[in-house]
Amino acid sequence: MSIITTQNLTKIFGSGTTAVTALDHVNLSVNTGEFVAIMGPSGCGKSTLLHLIGGLDRPSNGKVIIEGTSIAEMDDDRLTELRRRRIGFVFQFFNLIPVLNAVENAALPVTLDGVKPAEAQKKAAEWLTRFGLSDRLASRPDQLSGGQQQRVAIARALAAEPSLILADEPTGNLDTRSGDEIASLMRDVAKKYGRTVIMVTHDPRVAAYADRIIFLKDGKVIDETILERKNTSNADVVSRKIKEIGD
Amino acid sequence: MNLQLTLAARYLAGRKLRTALTTLAIIFGVTLIFGMNTVLPTMLAALQANVQGAEGETDFTITNVAGDSFPADVTGHLQNIDGVRAVAASLERTINLPADFVDQDPARADRVIAVNLVGVIPEEARSIRAYPIIDGRYLNDADTAAAVISQTLADAFSVTVGDSIHLPSISGLTELTVVGILPASIGPENESVLVNLPQAQKMTGDIGKVNVIRLNVEAFADKDRRTEIQSRIETALGKNYKVGTLITGDEMFATMEIAQIALSVFGTLALFMGGFIIFNTFRTVVTERRRDIGMLRALGATRRTILGAILTEGFLQGLLGSAIGLLIGYLMAFGVLKVMQGPISAFINIKLGLPVVEPGLVLISILLGVTVTVLAGLLPAWNASRVTPLEALRPTVAEAEFKRQTGVGFWIGIVIMVLTVLAILSGQSALILPGGILFLVGLVLVAPGLVRPFASLFGRAVAFVTIRQGIGGLAQSNLTRQPSRVAVTASTSLLGLAVIVAAGGIVTSMKGTLLDMVHDSFGSDYIYLPPSVGLWSGNVGATPELAENLRSVPGVETVSTLRFTSSQTVNGQVVSVLGIQPDEFQQVSGLIFTEGNRSAYEDIVSERALIANSVFMIGTGLNAGDMVELSTPDGQVQYRIVAVASDLLNAKINTIYISQSNLQADFGSTEDVFIQIDLQDGADREAAGAQIKALGADYPQFKVISGVDYYNTIQAQFQAAFSAVYVLFAILAFPSLIAMLNTLTISVIERTREIGMIRAVGGTRKQIRNMVMAEALLLAAIGAVFGILGGMYLGYVLVTAIEVVFPMGYSFPVSGIVAAIVIGLLFGAVAAIIPARQAARLEVVQALRYE
Repeated sequence: MSIITTQNLTKIFGSGTTAVTALDHVNLSVNTGEFVAIMGPSGCGKSTLLHLIGGLDRPSNGKVIIEGTSIAEMDDDRLTELRRRRIGFVFQFFNLIPVLNAVENAALPVTLDGVKPAEAQKKAAEWLTRFGLSDRLASRPDQLSGGQQQRVAIARALAAEPSLILADEPTGNLDTRSGDEIASLMRDVAKKYGRTVIMVTHDPRVAAYADRIIFLKDGKVIDETILERKNTSNADVVSRKIKEIGD
Repeated sequence: MNLQLTLAARYLAGRKLRTALTTLAIIFGVTLIFGMNTVLPTMLAALQANVQGAEGETDFTITNVAGDSFPADVTGHLQNIDGVRAVAASLERTINLPADFVDQDPARADRVIAVNLVGVIPEEARSIRAYPIIDGRYLNDADTAAAVISQTLADAFSVTVGDSIHLPSISGLTELTVVGILPASIGPENESVLVNLPQAQKMTGDIGKVNVIRLNVEAFADKDRRTEIQSRIETALGKNYKVGTLITGDEMFATMEIAQIALSVFGTLALFMGGFIIFNTFRTVVTERRRDIGMLRALGATRRTILGAILTEGFLQGLLGSAIGLLIGYLMAFGVLKVMQGPISAFINIKLGLPVVEPGLVLISILLGVTVTVLAGLLPAWNASRVTPLEALRPTVAEAEFKRQTGVGFWIGIVIMVLTVLAILSGQSALILPGGILFLVGLVLVAPGLVRPFASLFGRAVAFVTIRQGIGGLAQSNLTRQPSRVAVTASTSLLGLAVIVAAGGIVTSMKGTLLDMVHDSFGSDYIYLPPSVGLWSGNVGATPELAENLRSVPGVETVSTLRFTSSQTVNGQVVSVLGIQPDEFQQVSGLIFTEGNRSAYEDIVSERALIANSVFMIGTGLNAGDMVELSTPDGQVQYRIVAVASDLLNAKINTIYISQSNLQADFGSTEDVFIQIDLQDGADREAAGAQIKALGADYPQFKVISGVDYYNTIQAQFQAAFSAVYVLFAILAFPSLIAMLNTLTISVIERTREIGMIRAVGGTRKQIRNMVMAEALLLAAIGAVFGILGGMYLGYVLVTAIEVVFPMGYSFPVSGIVAAIVIGLLFGAVAAIIPARQAARLEVVQALRYE
């Protein structure tokens, strides 16, 4: 069953002669529990697609349907509520709040939902513990490594128990080893914890962890690959694909 | 254009909001310095004229050597003399009244046997002294046979506004219509009848002539300046005229000195506040630009280049801000003077006119604006030059300070504060004023260390209120991430609010003390006033029978009398001995004790004891508890000094207070020279008043006045005088608004990405708005607490300093504190409006991309 469907999703920035089409009639659907990677060269519209799916931005044309509801008609408050309860975000630069510690950061969406801090933090602490950060709950972001910070960010994305996780280059700011760890963790989120994960990346090694890769170029879906598991050469398959498309 | 200039110009143009905010800070600093200095002298001059006018004091009185009248156009020579503020000519003649002229009753002794006809040019006269009309109106130029008289005279003639009185003139009896009533006068002089100059000239035959010119000089002229002005007047008038100088002794000069000190204190504070705001902005500019600076360094820019670029930016902004600040400062001064003109001219005729722009002040303002900006930018610029090229490679995230805030500065601040408290305890007046300023400096140094504990204290309150919104804790954390920036902002509010609290303290104390004294001396419902108050010896008293009759008037509750005799101490000091009945005296009047307390009232009845005023104590060099020998008609008697206290009537004369029984026994005096009457609550005031006045008809040596009316008149005068002061202080509070706006906007800009993230993970616009608002209120609360602390100390210090020349007690400035809290929180909320909206409106995607 598809949790997300886009219909002729189009985004145009600017107008007149300076207009740039970032997304051009994109139609795709993602199934519940699926781990999808979106790849493509810089400026192909990956992030824009993610922002539109997450309700951070509004399309110029077309629709985003999440769990059967079109989000185009939602006002800002309803969209915000949707983001808070149904969607978790993971960013490239972690975007943790420097003055809050790990558990407070992870609990933020729950706290924003009006849950008492103690209760929200209990939930957040559970996720952090699952991600191996049980001894760093009270650490501030500046006391954590990049990989640890990103794990806190993923815990934050999951704290409100959303069904959909959107990740924008989650490994873009990490070294290879940490990148692999995070990519593997993203797969766990989908497979072990049953969330739907959509991840934007341009790293073939990271994309290889996904079930399916969607290739974008100039705002259009130009290819799709379903990866077979237990195949150690997945990364090579992805790399070849990218060469074909021309990065 | 070299690189530094290009960079500076591009940054200024590129970051418009930031540039606007910094410039705003400079503008404000310059506006304040320039505007305040432009407007303050004028305001203070008005204030002085106001007080002088209320007291009816004139600096110089000019008469003809021969005592003749002289042409009115002589005033024309005087008006243009440098240093002369106001000139008013009048024609004043004593008109003797035939027997029974006023009361038409041969059976009664006459109370009014002569009046002083005073012909004035209405508005000119009002530029010299105040005429607080209590009924009807003041004279205007179109009036002919109109007169303004005092309540006392109106009572004697049994007239009110609209009635006529008749006065003898060269052409027989002249009828004058009473158009206005002044409060009962308490001086010993003849009652005045105020008419227009032509009317007086017609009645006396001195057509086109005057006989007195009164003249006030510019405010705060010191002794030398006065002498100089006097000699100019003498030169202008020639030998036929005599220039008389009225008192205005050392007391006045002391007051002026205080005013001038206050002026420079406020100027310094304004400068400090401006500097703080600029410093804060520059510091954030540098923090925010670390990546750019790192990149420049990576590309090969030297430290000097970086330092130069930031300082160039400071210089350009300083210049721009100063220019705008001058303009706004002028407009502010203009506005303030325009606004103040209304309330002031209701009281006295002074044209506040245009703000005086002195070229020197313009130059100093620009110089200060630019220097302060460059100086405030120096430390941040230095820090900027220390940025390593590596910074370019780090992602831009809002910085947070986590180091301890109790460094060297904190402890230096503590030491300064302790020392200043010791200074005030030492009672050394020379240390008091510098101590007050130093205390504020100490508080500013200590502030960063207190931000976190204070924020967590108030944060709990905010969190409690906003618990359902889930952002209370965030506001608190956001505020404490930059304790030193918050501390600088709070310090700015601190100084602004401290001034309000201090001013509140001074004004409350001064007004409280003065009004208490007036109230205690004149606060009773009716007063039988002898011609001379204070100098009692010339007065003819009344037998105790009068007081007895007054007591039997229906509605009268208490009658308190003062009896008088004169005595000498062994060392030859002449002293006024006043006999009081302590019980009655305390009910209608009262002494202000500086040593001892009210139990002294019992002692003076139960033994030969006295209460002395401070003049007596200083004159004799005695201490409370000492015995003093007084001469009586029957030889020497010993009295014990049980307390030191004074009232307004006798404040300046050697005076002792004893019981009437002792006065009768030792000095044989039973005459009442001063009688105060209080009515019962709910008494028929009109009937009782009429009867009290009627009883006075048989004792023409007394004027009967309504003490309450008199007190109210005085109070209204104080109100008018002090309202101007409040306006000034309110203006000084303004920088705290700018500082808070600045800090909040900076912290919003700086956290754009974080705000985007919060929105992305589900924070509503309202939550963001509330977060900024909560942060603002926290910030304001911290500023208010600091401000109140500093202000109470500063106020106490200033009151102590003023006490040296003016006797006043420190009153706790409740109104000042309430004002500071209200203004602080209000400013916090107002300052948050723009940043909060800005934060809430951020587009999520753009905010996330923001660098």
